[in-house]
Amino acid sequence: CSDFLDESDPSNLTPDSFYTTAKQAESAIAAVYADARFVGNGAGIFSSNWQLLEAPTGTSTTQTAQNSDLNNLYSLSYDANTLHVRNWWRGVYKVIANANLVLENVPDIDMDEGQKNQILGEARFLRAWAYFYAVRLWGDVPLITLPQSATSEDFFPSRSPLKAVYDQIVADLTAAESAGLSWTDESGRVSQSAVKSLLAKVYLTMAGNPLNETARYADAASKAKEVIDNAGPIDLFDTYGEIHDESLGNTVEHIFSLQYNDEVAGNPMGNMFPNFQPVTYRGPSGTGSTVPEIEFYNSFEAGDQRTVDREGWFYTSYYTNGDGELFDLGAPYIFKHFNVTANGTQGVPGTAKDNLNMPIIRFAEVLLIYAEASNEATGPTQDAVDALTRIRDRAQLTTPTLGEFTQESLREAVWKERWHELCYEQITWFDMVRLRKVLNSETGGFDDFVGHINLSSDQALQEKHLLFPLPEQEMINNPSLTPQNPGYN
Amino acid sequence: SVSDASGALPGANVLVKGTTNGTQTDFDGNYTLDNVDSNATLVFSYIGYKTLEIPLNGRTVVNAQLEEDASELEEVVLIGYGSQRKSDLTGAVGQVDADQLQERPATSLNQALSGKIAGVQVNTNSGRPGGKSNIRVRGFSSINSSNNPLYVIDGVQLPQGNQANFSSAIDYLNPNDVVSIEVLKDASSTAIYGARGANGVILVTTKRGRAGQGRVTYDVEYSVNQFGPNRAKVLNAEQYAMIEQLSWENTQKFDPEGWAAGNYAQYEPRLKRANPNVAYLFDSDGKAIYDTDWSKEVVQHKLSQNHQLGFSGGNERTTYAVSLGIRDAQGLLKNTYLKRYSGRFSIDDQIKTWLKIGGSLSYNNQTENLADTNDQVPRRMVEDYPFYPGPLHTGGPLEGLYANNRDYPYAEGTRNSVNWLENNEYILNTQTTTGSFYTNLNLTKELEMRTVIGANVLTQENNEFRNSVLDNNAVARAQASNEKQTFWSIENYLTYNKEINENNSFTALLGVSWQQSNQFFVNADSRNFPTDYFKYNNLGAGSDNIAVQSFADREALNSYFGRLNYNLYGKYLFTVTGRADGSSKFGDNNKFSFFPSAAVAWRISDEDFLVDNTLISNLKLRTSYGVTGNSEIPPYSSLSLLSSNYAAIWNESRVGGTGLNRLANPDLKWEKTAQYDIGFELGLFDNRISMEADYYYRKTTDMLLDAPVPQSSGYATIRRNVGSMQNQGVELGLSTKNIVTADLSWNTTFNISMNRNKVLSLATPSDIFGVGGPGITNETSIIRVGEPVGAFWGLTRLGTWGTDEAAEAAKFVSYRNGLTILPGDIKYKDFNGDYIINDEDRSIIGNGYPTAWGTLTNYVSYKNLDFTLELQYSWGNDVMDMNLHSSEDRQALANSYTTVLDAWTPDNQDTMIAQVRDTRAGYVTNVDSHWVKDGSFVRGRNIMLGYTFGQNLIERMHLNKLRLYASAQNFFLLVDDELLGDPEVTPIRGGESNNVFSQGMKWHEYPKSTTFVLGLQVGL
Repeated sequence: CSDFLDESDPSNLTPDSFYTTAKQAESAIAAVYADARFVGNGAGIFSSNWQLLEAPTGTSTTQTAQNSDLNNLYSLSYDANTLHVRNWWRGVYKVIANANLVLENVPDIDMDEGQKNQILGEARFLRAWAYFYAVRLWGDVPLITLPQSATSEDFFPSRSPLKAVYDQIVADLTAAESAGLSWTDESGRVSQSAVKSLLAKVYLTMAGNPLNETARYADAASKAKEVIDNAGPIDLFDTYGEIHDESLGNTVEHIFSLQYNDEVAGNPMGNMFPNFQPVTYRGPSGTGSTVPEIEFYNSFEAGDQRTVDREGWFYTSYYTNGDGELFDLGAPYIFKHFNVTANGTQGVPGTAKDNLNMPIIRFAEVLLIYAEASNEATGPTQDAVDALTRIRDRAQLTTPTLGEFTQESLREAVWKERWHELCYEQITWFDMVRLRKVLNSETGGFDDFVGHINLSSDQALQEKHLLFPLPEQEMINNPSLTPQNPGYN
Repeated sequence: SVSDASGALPGANVLVKGTTNGTQTDFDGNYTLDNVDSNATLVFSYIGYKTLEIPLNGRTVVNAQLEEDASELEEVVLIGYGSQRKSDLTGAVGQVDADQLQERPATSLNQALSGKIAGVQVNTNSGRPGGKSNIRVRGFSSINSSNNPLYVIDGVQLPQGNQANFSSAIDYLNPNDVVSIEVLKDASSTAIYGARGANGVILVTTKRGRAGQGRVTYDVEYSVNQFGPNRAKVLNAEQYAMIEQLSWENTQKFDPEGWAAGNYAQYEPRLKRANPNVAYLFDSDGKAIYDTDWSKEVVQHKLSQNHQLGFSGGNERTTYAVSLGIRDAQGLLKNTYLKRYSGRFSIDDQIKTWLKIGGSLSYNNQTENLADTNDQVPRRMVEDYPFYPGPLHTGGPLEGLYANNRDYPYAEGTRNSVNWLENNEYILNTQTTTGSFYTNLNLTKELEMRTVIGANVLTQENNEFRNSVLDNNAVARAQASNEKQTFWSIENYLTYNKEINENNSFTALLGVSWQQSNQFFVNADSRNFPTDYFKYNNLGAGSDNIAVQSFADREALNSYFGRLNYNLYGKYLFTVTGRADGSSKFGDNNKFSFFPSAAVAWRISDEDFLVDNTLISNLKLRTSYGVTGNSEIPPYSSLSLLSSNYAAIWNESRVGGTGLNRLANPDLKWEKTAQYDIGFELGLFDNRISMEADYYYRKTTDMLLDAPVPQSSGYATIRRNVGSMQNQGVELGLSTKNIVTADLSWNTTFNISMNRNKVLSLATPSDIFGVGGPGITNETSIIRVGEPVGAFWGLTRLGTWGTDEAAEAAKFVSYRNGLTILPGDIKYKDFNGDYIINDEDRSIIGNGYPTAWGTLTNYVSYKNLDFTLELQYSWGNDVMDMNLHSSEDRQALANSYTTVLDAWTPDNQDTMIAQVRDTRAGYVTNVDSHWVKDGSFVRGRNIMLGYTFGQNLIERMHLNKLRLYASAQNFFLLVDDELLGDPEVTPIRGGESNNVFSQGMKWHEYPKSTTFVLGLQVGL
């Protein structure tokens, strides 16, 4: 029996026996989507990866000190070993690697060309989406665009200049624009409007710190305008409740979201529930590890619908065990990701299945990108003020007219609107870095990033916080990955 | 003819001294020898008997009666693929015989083995029936592959594997079927098992029949459990009320802004107690009416029983043995049990003078309900509220329903321990069928060929059910899985025994082996049933069919092995061993590897200058060196694989995805352990005092490691042979016969083992985290070069900040919810002086490995009475008590340990324990040095008193043996005052594989019991 010691795994495939049919191409791109959910994965007890982008903003605080990594994020004392930092590195590069597998292997499959192009377009979008996080978190990062094996030449890559990474992101998104993707996609897959919206956001970011390619403002404005002008079914929801209504996922305002379904993975924002208060069918079960910083809550204008209890972004009372008597919570909590269908509402028990998606780009952000970018490119225009007004109208706030704005005042108005409209969606931190400005909740004005005191911990932001440290273990395992970002040695 | 005390002795050797002329006695003990000089001397020998020399002096008929040799030196010891007299051993082999195995009742073989052999560490880490034991022979040899020894039952190897479902294959063997156990420790003895020998080899011999009178035995045992010693104390209702009140009041200090904003008003105990659900529990002064000790609620005091029936007999040609067993072990915790039905049949037949055949077939059916597959029960029984009336509400709107902590306002949303015990099932139904068949062919008088065919089929159902009362949405969940492991082996070997002349003899062995193991697993998970009636018996009735999985794998091993034992002058002993192993699991470039060993022993006491020495009756020096391997990694580890277990969500449905999984490594090969051993055996005063001591040094190289790779590749690790680790140690066994008289005898055995583990190199300079720990905090353990594998990792707690240190404390960047550090908060050592407490301030703070461990056993017999006292000890092992995280560091969410009564107050500032406060006002909890306690202990393992009825009485009853005994196990524990609970622990939470390096890490284990046993042994 000469083959007695040969082995082949009956439960797993090898790469050379795969990538031959259209069905396999679909399976390959599905893996990239699956990986993208890393953002919602756990980061130790009572914590999730997304908290990396919330805790340092100062807009939230915690009711539990259980997770010391999370504590260190809140108090801006995180380091190169902090679990969240390591998880993000692992997460983005795994998405990239699976996207690289698709981009390398799918072109050779004999299949319908239209379907093939769409799959390649989705892979390019998701790779760009992942690199966009990497480059904003760490600056110069390894740029890998081919599948790797242990013998690959760049298995131990050094850091590529962030300009090169941005070029790759723009190249991928530009290619994805013409991949034949549908304008919107209710199934939760990448659509053409998602590609253009992300590209607008990338341009806006390139225009700011650290690249400061101010010419990109015009690109951002025109890309956002493409979405606004060709909106089709895309629009703002009328009410804030619809934004976190699980039955409205991937429609109207939701341009791109990470997909969640209880059958595979339920909504990952559970750490926003108050600490052991019975606001859901689970009874007293929340962790409260991301709750609003009270001054930030107070910084919303009087009458802002977004602060209305159980209608806007916050709730200060809820129904016992989801569907019972209304009770006072004593403080505001985040309602933005609260799934009423799953958790229950007055007299209606929850379904216990939290199928709510995690929004990545809402149309509201596209409007604000347009307003900001066009103001920077050309100064205030009616279109820019209109875009801002649409956001504020929904909040039932009045907006100054075009004539009342200077470029300066419109700029700050849009920034502030971003803080209030996009809070707790893992966007604010990148605004802080790109603008090097932070909303001062007490004055309502903007502080410089360096020196701003986060009220959640009374700690000041420093120059080094503009980038996160490279994970220490990764630097040890890859000697070419040097130097560490300044301030973290 | 040749006989012994009980009659004819077939198969005894008769040799004309100084010649090769010899024969064996026939079935009636008769023999004939031709061509014998009338002045010659005949040498009669038989294994287990004293050799007898009788000069002929012209006689033609010589009858010899051989005396059984009580001396253990003449005992036959099993070695791999053969046996040897103990005195001829060149390697380090520990032995446990039937008498020792019977000293204390045991549910599993590992428990029976515990403490019996120096160098073998058995920790029973769970108190459930059947336990959950960790066994290590001479420390750790591996980081990523198994550290479990290889078990060989009657010559058939068991699959090594991991501990699926908290047990390994050996746990399903009925320990009552075992007559002896040999543990092969050094490379000389394990190298014959080559690639599977690196963690030591345990040879198990089961009962066989003997020629002569038929025997019937019946052993019965009844036992009851109660809580074992040193249980951690929790607050009673009055103490809890005091701590709860203080916690709330202190909130004003720890979060003054929140207090001023009224955030804590609702948490005032007075208001909480007024909640309609719980109001009935308090009198008009708010004082608790009830005071429940939950440890009394969770236990059952059920009678356990064990019945073992045996039949054996045979004639000169054929012998057989049958054993039947029923064991019903009731756990300390309600509804936990282990029931085992076992049967075993063996037969041996000398079918021709030159051919012996035989075999055995055994079947075990075991059913268990485990309560410690998660921490719910053991944790909840600590944290359940003492002011509850017990498991059920006795008043208020929830009357008759389970009284769960979650019914009390703002408590952690948990359910009580009894509720879990009554409504959560984790049933394991395991059936094992083990069979073996052998033929022994005597090709010539000196050459024997043995063929052994073995098979082992293990089928394990795992049925889980969680009643809807345990679910937040009243949804029941059920899961059923089935695993089937099929193993077979064929081994064929030749043994050549040659006595060249009086001074030169050798035994040569040459063999070949094939083994294969297949595994198939299927699992289905379903929820949301219309009724709780179905449990796991109708998964299709669930509305949500959550998951379906299956997998299959196969592994195969093909080996060639040989050994040469050479005996010169009966004093100089040499052994050379080699095995070539080929495994399917390794890379195409490295399927085969060779494992050699060599050993020398010198029986100094047989030298002329010592042979008549009255003091020294035995002295042997031996040394060995060899290489063994470890191949226990999952199959297919060398291949580049994709995973098809990705799940995307499109259109609100699961869509399977296929993506990257594992990096290929065609160069993957065995992990190798080179071991050097030097030992001596000493017997004094006719072996009244005997001693065996070994020093060993083991170095594992080419360690199989999931070595970290740059994660920029998308992969986290590659399975590689990198890194090395060493273990060195000393083991000593001492046995004394203190009193030997007709009526009174007193024997003492003592053993001590010391092992030092150190990681020598890793794949990269980076430390390895993510090992050990229950996953409730950040990292607890580290694998670092120069340190013992899996050392404890954390901050250093200096104490608490005093009132006079307020200014210094306030300089620290907050390590509690962003709030200012205050007097009464935990004070950590800030290693780099940056006023930030983060990873830079973590260091190695202990490890779970003892400096020394062992047992001391005394046996006393006086006339018909026998008495045994066995003490187990361990010294220098640390315990990391992670329970302090929830039961000491935080208050008012659940009940706490009484240690919080010593928390910081303005009047009690010299304490390690932070001032109590509502957790929402910012508390501090970190893995730190205060959680690490000295886990040294002395345990009263067994105390037993037996009475054997006198010959007169039992003969009248037509019996040949009747013994009654009573025993208490785990009857005392001596530990450091600071240690709460039992020191022998590993956490269940975090998964079995993650817990390989968690010895001594405490996270709510199934409590150990003190067990009282009454037993009767009948023989006829």
